[in-house]
Amino acid sequence: MDVNMIISLQNVNFYYGQSRALNDISMDFSEKKVTALIGPSGCGKSTLLRLLNRMNDLIIGTRVEGKVVFEGKDIYADHIDPVEIRRKIGMVFQKPNPFPKTIYNNISYGPKLNGLGNSDLDTLVEQSLKQAVLWDEVKDLLNKSAMTLSGGQQQRLCIARALAMKPDVLLMDEPTSALDPISTAKIEELIEELKKDYTIIIVTHNMQQAARISDETAFFYLGNLVEYNKTDKIFTNPDVKQTEDYITGRFG
Amino acid sequence: MEEKRHTSSHYEIELQEIKNGLIYIGALTEKAIQNAMKSLSERNSEMAHKVITDDDEIDKLDAEMEEHCIRLLALRQPTAIDLRFITTAIKVTGHLERIGDMAVNIAEKVIQLNEEPKLKPYIDLPRMADLVVEMVNNSLDSFIRNDLNVAEKVRQTEQITDDLNEQIFRELLTFMMENTKCIHRALLIMHVSKNLERIADHAKGIADMVTYMVTGENVRHQTRDDSAKEPA
Repeated sequence: MDVNMIISLQNVNFYYGQSRALNDISMDFSEKKVTALIGPSGCGKSTLLRLLNRMNDLIIGTRVEGKVVFEGKDIYADHIDPVEIRRKIGMVFQKPNPFPKTIYNNISYGPKLNGLGNSDLDTLVEQSLKQAVLWDEVKDLLNKSAMTLSGGQQQRLCIARALAMKPDVLLMDEPTSALDPISTAKIEELIEELKKDYTIIIVTHNMQQAARISDETAFFYLGNLVEYNKTDKIFTNPDVKQTEDYITGRFG
Repeated sequence: MEEKRHTSSHYEIELQEIKNGLIYIGALTEKAIQNAMKSLSERNSEMAHKVITDDDEIDKLDAEMEEHCIRLLALRQPTAIDLRFITTAIKVTGHLERIGDMAVNIAEKVIQLNEEPKLKPYIDLPRMADLVVEMVNNSLDSFIRNDLNVAEKVRQTEQITDDLNEQIFRELLTFMMENTKCIHRALLIMHVSKNLERIADHAKGIADMVTYMVTGENVRHQTRDDSAKEPA
């Protein structure tokens, strides 16, 4: 596809021990677009997502072949610091996981560890919470525990926390599957706003969500990339029969 | 390749109901055209009146079909082939309803014609009517069976009906020029021919939608030159 590319996968294979979970994946993620990864359970989409910021390194026995190129460098090269990668490629998980700290400290914790001074933290916390469309709801509660927030608010807090590190890319692994429909709609609305400034890659089991919010969609099956195209095309006239069978519910 | 069934059997049934419903509406419209033409050849105004009143049934079924399709769009959020199938079905039912209206128009002209002596033997009109009924039948068949070849045959037949309409028009023009007392009857017969030609247009419209449904390609407003340039 003919847009700016931010992350490029080149002939990537991924293994859990001896078992290959991703087969020769080559794909480019477009900058400042929302890309949805869809496919049945076990197809490798979450594995691929975690590959993009080396979260799979935390699982013993995993191995990567091929290249994952970000900012012109293979992020799996020996000299690359995975922590720095994870700052630039942030992640939001399925279950909201705020720190057991105040709302303020949830946001400020990461930047503080990276040496940001106290005078700048207040501004950063406010900015991040505003970006996550949470500021108005919590501005008078910053010293309250994050655990007192609702599920939807906690998830937006996690997004704000990731944004506070000023990433280039946000990875979201089923970010709304644990939320009610209204909270889901708010997160989707937030994603629509965030893509003006950030590249977003989202794993979702909800195909209507993928159709609603993504610009591009990649369909995976059994570790293979089956089809990758503009979302409009995938959901109106996919090129591959297998993709059509999946999205129309004729799978299995 | 045989289409796999949906995981949801209810959804499968709902989609099948669209096909069954359109087959039934199609059968009613074909009967309406045939009866309208029969009322012309037999000079049977009672039959013509029945064509007019029976159109209410077609209108009712069209509204129900549209409602059913909209409901599926809302509740099932169809994608890809299913989305194209349902949106095509909405168009098809619209075409069939208009075909029913054309049959009514013909019946109305027949009632007026039957009040005057017959102008001439009808040769081209019944021929045109047979072609048009076949087009409607084939267009629906192509929709039900996802058959691009049959759809293309319908699209090509449309030219023949256009030519027949032209021929009928020229012949009737001659009649009118030779004898002004014929003008009213000739004009009524021209209307019948024109309505048959419009039915053929609607059948082609259905065939165009079938092409879109099967391939995703919109061919609806192509000119005949565009079609001629297309590879086989």
